[in-house]
Amino acid sequence: MKNDDLMKRAQQELRDAYDFDPRDPMFGLSRDDMRGNKISRRATLRLLAAGGALTMAQVLPGLRPKPAMAAAHGGGILNAAWAGVAEITTLDPAQIGQVLQFQITSNVLSGLMHINNDLVAEGDLAESWDVSEDGLVYTIKMRDGLTFHNGDVCNADDVIFTYNRSSDPDQSRHSSVIANVANVEKLNDLEVRFTLKAPQASFLTKALERASGRAMTIVSRGALEEMGLAQYGLTPVGTGPFRITEHELGGRVVLEKFENYFDPERPKLDGVIIQPVDGTEPLAAAIEAGDVDYIGGNPLPGELVDRFKSNSDLTVDIKPGPGFQSIWMNPWVEPMQVADFNKPLDELKQENGFKVRLALAKALDRDLFVQQALFGNGIPAYGSINAAMGFYYDNGLAETSEQAFDPEGAQALLAEAGFPGGEGFPTLRLQTTPNTRRAGLVVANIYKQVLGISVEVDPKEFSVGIEEFNKMDFDLRLGGSGGDYDPDDGLIDWMMTSSKFNGPFRDTAEMPFGFFSEAEVDALSVEQSVTADPEARRALVQQANKLTSDKVCCGFLYHPVDILVHSNRVNVPTESRIPGLHDFDRMTLS
Amino acid sequence: MATYLLRRLIGAVLVMLAVSTLVFFMIRLVPGDPIAAMLADAGDAATREAMIRRLGLDQPLIIQFFKWFAGILHGDFGASIYGSNQPVSDILLTALPKTLSLAFLSFIIAIVIAVPAGIISATRKNTAADTSVSLFAFLGLSMPDFWLAILLIIIFAANLQWLPAIGYQPLSAGFWEWLSHLILPAIAIGTGFSAIIARMIRSSMLEVLQADYMRTAASKGLTQRVILIRHALPNALIPVITVIGIAFALLISGAVVVENVFSIKGLGRVLIQGIQNRDYPVVQGAVLLVSAFFVLSNLVVDLLYAVIDPRIRYS
Amino acid sequence: MSDASLDSVDIPAVAKRRSRFRAVFSKDRKAQFGVVVLGLFVLAALLAPLIAPYDPNEMTLDMMGAPSGSHLLGTDDLGRDLFSRIVWGTQISLFVGVATVTLSLVFGVLLGVLAGYYGGWIDMIIMRYIDLQWAFPNFIIAVYLVAVFGTGLLNVIVAIALAFLDDFARIARSMVLTLKQEQFVDAARVQGFSDARIMLRHILPNAMAPIIVQATVSVSYAILGEASLSFLGLGVSADTPTWGLILSDGRSFISRAWWLGIFPGLAIMLVVLSINFIGDALRDALDVRESDL
Repeated sequence: MKNDDLMKRAQQELRDAYDFDPRDPMFGLSRDDMRGNKISRRATLRLLAAGGALTMAQVLPGLRPKPAMAAAHGGGILNAAWAGVAEITTLDPAQIGQVLQFQITSNVLSGLMHINNDLVAEGDLAESWDVSEDGLVYTIKMRDGLTFHNGDVCNADDVIFTYNRSSDPDQSRHSSVIANVANVEKLNDLEVRFTLKAPQASFLTKALERASGRAMTIVSRGALEEMGLAQYGLTPVGTGPFRITEHELGGRVVLEKFENYFDPERPKLDGVIIQPVDGTEPLAAAIEAGDVDYIGGNPLPGELVDRFKSNSDLTVDIKPGPGFQSIWMNPWVEPMQVADFNKPLDELKQENGFKVRLALAKALDRDLFVQQALFGNGIPAYGSINAAMGFYYDNGLAETSEQAFDPEGAQALLAEAGFPGGEGFPTLRLQTTPNTRRAGLVVANIYKQVLGISVEVDPKEFSVGIEEFNKMDFDLRLGGSGGDYDPDDGLIDWMMTSSKFNGPFRDTAEMPFGFFSEAEVDALSVEQSVTADPEARRALVQQANKLTSDKVCCGFLYHPVDILVHSNRVNVPTESRIPGLHDFDRMTLS
Repeated sequence: MATYLLRRLIGAVLVMLAVSTLVFFMIRLVPGDPIAAMLADAGDAATREAMIRRLGLDQPLIIQFFKWFAGILHGDFGASIYGSNQPVSDILLTALPKTLSLAFLSFIIAIVIAVPAGIISATRKNTAADTSVSLFAFLGLSMPDFWLAILLIIIFAANLQWLPAIGYQPLSAGFWEWLSHLILPAIAIGTGFSAIIARMIRSSMLEVLQADYMRTAASKGLTQRVILIRHALPNALIPVITVIGIAFALLISGAVVVENVFSIKGLGRVLIQGIQNRDYPVVQGAVLLVSAFFVLSNLVVDLLYAVIDPRIRYS
Repeated sequence: MSDASLDSVDIPAVAKRRSRFRAVFSKDRKAQFGVVVLGLFVLAALLAPLIAPYDPNEMTLDMMGAPSGSHLLGTDDLGRDLFSRIVWGTQISLFVGVATVTLSLVFGVLLGVLAGYYGGWIDMIIMRYIDLQWAFPNFIIAVYLVAVFGTGLLNVIVAIALAFLDDFARIARSMVLTLKQEQFVDAARVQGFSDARIMLRHILPNAMAPIIVQATVSVSYAILGEASLSFLGLGVSADTPTWGLILSDGRSFISRAWWLGIFPGLAIMLVVLSINFIGDALRDALDVRESDL
């Protein structure tokens, strides 16, 4: 298939996915669509769309023809490095908060459902399921003969146990994921019935999904009692393809093939050893010397990419990544003060505070930034909607946005605001984390070169910085988001007056809003989230996105890229390239 | 002696008490929010509150303090905030073997270099050997340990690929596995200490060699070698014990930066990460342990003095 | 006996000291090396704007360029001239070293003299505090204080100075305890001089030898301490080139750019080595035994 055909088919699928009445709690899916032992690709796509988790990037991989596999035989131990982390603090699904943690547990613990790379939601521990006509009752039949790694039988009681544990906020941080469940009953050893408070079609793909959901990732009662919470957090016992045989805090996690996994064909490998590796040089040394064959965990430092690409023993696979990073400008701090964004753009442009904001945004030489700070591994950003959202991404924004890089324009604006050549401009503090300090220095240098102003980079530990950001106690902050696949993630979570990151702990008496508040953006964000027609939704998303860009909600800087690196010994079949995950069960070594 | 010992022990306990109080309140002075650090961006209000309640952070400080303190008396150091439920005692017990292994090996390296170097330079004062030992000692003293660590990684890990660049393996993984991961960091730490100890041995040896009983021994016709090893060395080592005692305590806590370079999660790293994540219970526990080592090793050094040097009597 | 004659008691000692100084430093080649090298670094610090060929923070796209004619020591990961950064870093390192030790010397000696001179409850309180501080390794104290105060030049100086306080207090106290028994102190007391005057004019000058030696050694420890803090990201600031920070930043790139791992460390070592050489010579000249420290 040619690329054009692929795109056409993908767009058709997207259109279809969004073709439902948003007021319908079942999103136009019939009872038949929802029952069985596999949810069709069409239905899964629609569920993801409704749950706010569908992207073009997800639609495409399954359409790509599968490459011929290199000859491989089963067995062997895969050595993997988990990048940018000194220790895996917890693997207890009730406590997991980091992607790099559930990347591991997805290999060890099971859910009732799991999505494959073709975006077909498959039963994981569930063999089949049935949904009532009103969409309120889900009856799930589990596979027979399931056993936990410790030999205990896994059945309906474990589902109930997990539910009780996860719905208690004192025991789990994911209780909100299953807040819509009214009750759970055991019908017999292999059947459970969930009754919902309100219909929720995304229930199967969100609440019951094993990796990202985490609320209904099935835990072992026996092991929890025997080990205690702390030990279970290190070496959780589940029903997944691998079991953990060794893990102490700050040490490696050793996974061993689980012989009694329900699918006798999987896993192919005998085991996986995951070594947390903090620091760039050790990581590079490890994979170049062949100590490890695979890198998971935190995003790879950009400076390593060229080095790995030029190494013929390694495979480097780069995709647009979700998320965006920005320079946030506190509108309550002089000289960037703007008390009301609800004015026509032309009127805003008369205000000195806005002129400064626009100057700071226009001065961002994103190409230089990406080259210098990220060694070329990033995509210049002008809004929160990123290239991983494919269909919604606005390619033209680089030209059309008021924020487009324009050094002369930026200088002129700054001069108009009363700071010709940067003269008299106060020294602003640019808050970063220790990890983003280097990027902050590059930004400061760009401001110095383009505007002649000095910005002092102020790295703070994440715990301190996030507290100040939440309180709106900062001048400038370099930060943003890392997991945005759907426009909702960029708009609802960040750009609205009520967004959860928009100064939640600020002094509301002094600051009526956080970093940004614009009525039209608020309205558009809500409207797009309930608009079914993809073309219409795309128009709304892009309109909102452009408004936040033009009115300088922040100075948008870059979108990250998703980089997978492994040695040529490792065969990563297409089925294993599930966005954001490293499922080892189908990988082989040659 | 017994009363002295008792007095010193009580003194040590009092210092530890003061340390624990001080640490408890001081870490809470540090700006930052441990819950925010742990939840990153994911926390909604309900989860946050439940977590604060579960950790007891909503209670008055003084109550938190007494609870923590009562826990310590039962050997319970509390649970890590950032490490989700990990008991602090487990975290410390995991870190301790690493730090002790590293300290032990560094110590061996320091002694193996320092004792012969010190003796040679004292007995061959102002010769070329003495000068080179002294130069080495100065270099060892002046080279930042983390720089030496980087140089060692460049040479032995990155270029020659003889030894691993990072990490730690327990003894149970095999002696060589254990040793190979520790050689480079131990050299990085041990070199500086060997310099200090070598200088110490040299000067105290020179003093002893001047002493009357040495001349007596020589007049009795004992050989140079016997005089040195039987008489001079033991006496010369007495003042060195102080330094070694302190050095050992320093090795345990002071390897912070080197542990960082080699990604070894010893006590120092536990402490630094605890401070960075505002993980109160971990910081409290780690500081308590480090200072306990320090206080105890001071005590042991003093007592050793009494045992080795019959002239010292405590009353 | 008049005050003048009391002071004159010390004059022969001072004269003797001076000649010993000359004798030691004219013979000791290590000390000469130390003086010359340290002098060069002091010059570099003072004349940094003239010596450094580039702005130390000026970034270029010539990233990780090898040492060459235009960049003597190469460029770093952001295309900044390494030589210029190291030259400017000299200022910070030397300043932190001297400022820190001055601060902890003044306050530490004050505490030590007060404790030793008055004894009693003053001594007890001061000594308990010092015992408490003694229960923590110096570097841990500094790390902790920087976490409390935040990073920054002043905070780093105060943190390291506080960490060294107890060493000076201990030495000063023990010297005072010995000197208090001396006749000239009794004589001064009989004459009715104030305590402050006795401490400042009579005791302190005679207690200075070990304190000076300790101060010299402490400068080198302070420089190492600052470098270590910077190395852990707890240093002066994010964009001030300090040796520790340059080394810490360069560490991720050493396999591509060895010069980033070598030269900043070499600078630290040379300065510390020079100070240690000088300190050693001072020890000989002032006749201070190691056990006095």
